[in-house]
Amino acid sequence: MHRPSLSSRPLLCFFLSFAVPLLLALPSLLAAQKTALHLDSTPADPFLAASGKPVVLIFVRTDCPISNRYAPVIQRISSEYGAKIALWLVYPSKASTAEKIRQHEREYGYKLSALRDPQHALVTQAQVQVTPEAAVFDGHHRLLYHGRIDDLYQDFGRARPAPTTHELDDAIQAALGGKTPPPNTPGVGCYIADAE
Amino acid sequence: MTSSGRMIAVCLLGFSTATAAALVKHDGATARSPMPAAQQTTFNRDIAPILFRYCAACHRPGEAGPFPLLTYTDAKAHARQIAAVTSKRFMPPWLPEPQELKFADELRLSEEQIALIQKWVEQGAVEGVPADLPPAPQFVAGWQLGRPDEIIEAEKPYTLPAGGSDMYWNFIFRTPVDRTRWLKAIEIRPGDKRVVHHANILVDRNQSARRMEADPRAGFPGMELKIESETFDPDSHFLFWKPGTVPRPEPESMSLRLDKDTDLVLNIHLQPSGKTEKIQPNLGLYFTDKPATHFPLLLQLENDRQLDVPPGEKRFLVTDEFTLPVDVDLLAIYPHAHYLGKDLQALATLPDGSAKTLIHIPQWNLNWQAVYRYADPVPLPKGTTISMRYIYDNSSENLANPNDPPRRVVAGNRSSDEMAHLWLQVLPHVSSNADFDPRMLLQETMARHNLEKNPADFAAHYNLAAMLQARGAQSEAIQNFELAVRLRPQDATANNALGASLLAAGRIGEAIPYLNAALRAQPDNFDAHYNLASALASQDKFLEAIEHYRAAIRLHPDDANAEANLGSALAEAGKLSEAKLHFQRALRIDPNHKLARENLEQINRDPKNLQQ
Repeated sequence: MHRPSLSSRPLLCFFLSFAVPLLLALPSLLAAQKTALHLDSTPADPFLAASGKPVVLIFVRTDCPISNRYAPVIQRISSEYGAKIALWLVYPSKASTAEKIRQHEREYGYKLSALRDPQHALVTQAQVQVTPEAAVFDGHHRLLYHGRIDDLYQDFGRARPAPTTHELDDAIQAALGGKTPPPNTPGVGCYIADAE
Repeated sequence: MTSSGRMIAVCLLGFSTATAAALVKHDGATARSPMPAAQQTTFNRDIAPILFRYCAACHRPGEAGPFPLLTYTDAKAHARQIAAVTSKRFMPPWLPEPQELKFADELRLSEEQIALIQKWVEQGAVEGVPADLPPAPQFVAGWQLGRPDEIIEAEKPYTLPAGGSDMYWNFIFRTPVDRTRWLKAIEIRPGDKRVVHHANILVDRNQSARRMEADPRAGFPGMELKIESETFDPDSHFLFWKPGTVPRPEPESMSLRLDKDTDLVLNIHLQPSGKTEKIQPNLGLYFTDKPATHFPLLLQLENDRQLDVPPGEKRFLVTDEFTLPVDVDLLAIYPHAHYLGKDLQALATLPDGSAKTLIHIPQWNLNWQAVYRYADPVPLPKGTTISMRYIYDNSSENLANPNDPPRRVVAGNRSSDEMAHLWLQVLPHVSSNADFDPRMLLQETMARHNLEKNPADFAAHYNLAAMLQARGAQSEAIQNFELAVRLRPQDATANNALGASLLAAGRIGEAIPYLNAALRAQPDNFDAHYNLASALASQDKFLEAIEHYRAAIRLHPDDANAEANLGSALAEAGKLSEAKLHFQRALRIDPNHKLARENLEQINRDPKNLQQ
């Protein structure tokens, strides 16, 4: 016989107290399956480290000439926004070992932290298709923008002398100032799916 | 005796940035169609033969391609990329449309090959069975033609910035020959092939490009350059490098002359890669003992004066037409425009009325400009009209447009200016009973054609005059040199040539002011000193003549004619022992120098003259 008013209470409390660790456990459980890595191969969560700042992920490949050509632009963005954003270079290729990435960063003068994403955990979260593409998340980890950095390339081999739009800059400023981000615009570059 | 005028071969080579690729929009991802297992496309059987033949030359370590495409693993790691760039015909880079006249080393995929690549990727980029894999392509490591006889390296490297727009840089190579040699090939190793889009060598027989170097031996920026060449010596060979190029030795009969003190100017187009790059090219010289017996020449159609493209104009047409005065074989063709170039076409209309497309590039892309060599020489008889038909797009739809928003664009050497050039390498037919050099007739006809387009064309007046002078049409030559001087009154070369031409016609008094003008413009002009000295000597002004001969010899200490003439002037002035010394010097330089020998013998026969 049920006496719902009293007997259900401890049950409910019990259920809730169980539910809290369960919910907390869920992301870490998923992370154990698919996670980005620091160069020392420890699991990386760029959102956890951001402590409420906008997170910017820029996806590159060591052997993609188009993303390489963007190195000075990416470095400029990193210097310009500095500590206001959490900016990461993400290498989605399985073939990019930590050693290759360090060498690539040295060669192209990158002075920002890099992550490996061999399981495409961040690729999926950021909804990017090619290198170079960027994703901008606001302080609440909501994806505001994903796509090209600017419109330098319209297609393979069709580059402008200089870009006329700057989507990544606009998206970062939107994230910082609570403004409307630019529409998502796909980039031109090397297919990340090839790097599976 | 006069040293006659120089020939100005105006050589403009251009380069720029880009647009591209026939945009056959082809979305591989949506065109999936399930294939039965029997029709499984595999790398080993279907794809490797295509990649090995068309891609591997550049897509291998150390070459221009950003990643290798030599193995299944290489191809799998770029499978979608390969499908996308081939379906858009961005890769392999080959701009001309298919046509009746075939080009050598055509790098064009067939529709079937493109479809096969799409299918392979859609089916999951399968490797296939090892037995199907063809042997890997073999490449020669290092110098492609074997160890060169001489290797010359640019004296100072150029540092390409990490970012920014394309850069054009010129390196001057001093050549290591102490006498005239013949070259069967020059191999260009431009430096890091991933940033060098193409390179072109200009032969600078007059060291005229050195004047462009702000810092001596460091090279200089610039997309197009003008080279002055001494005497009748038109450019004859394309010396061009683009990624994947295997240098081609010239046919034995068409070796390339390399004189002492000749500079080779290497003009290279660089694209920033994202990191700074030091570029220090090397040239490999391959000599031959066989002097040239056949003399090709580069003909240029152009119409830069028509280039005045309003902003927003999408189809601006520029044309030029030239009718051949002699029979030729067309060997190679090199169309050139900058960033607004869109549709570039050249046609030949034969005397029988039939027309042949020489080249048609419907989507011009400066990044992939190239010299196209015909698989077989194309015979074009006398009377054939070659026409150039270039269309320019100065709208904002042209992504390569250097101006945002578009603005009026005219001809010029900067990459934001435009060009309308078509170069053809032709080998004139030489008939054994002809009493003229067909190259000179071609040059003369070309100069007259250029004057029809632009009566104020200095180089055309000058070159026409030089050709007329060479074939003895003296009064018309003088007339054209006069027109050249009127266009550029301060030009030392033109003033000297007019002076020399008047001198040759015996109009000594009229010659002297022009020779003096040449020396005012350029005090170290050897020819002008020499010619002025000869003019003064003809007026019995031997003391003045002696000064100018001495000045000429200071500039060219190994000129036998100047030494012999100085000897003669000294002898006429009664300075016989000094005269004898200069005749002896002339004979040391040229033991067969007739005038020096005869004059010396005469002095020796009559030694009492020495007492005068």
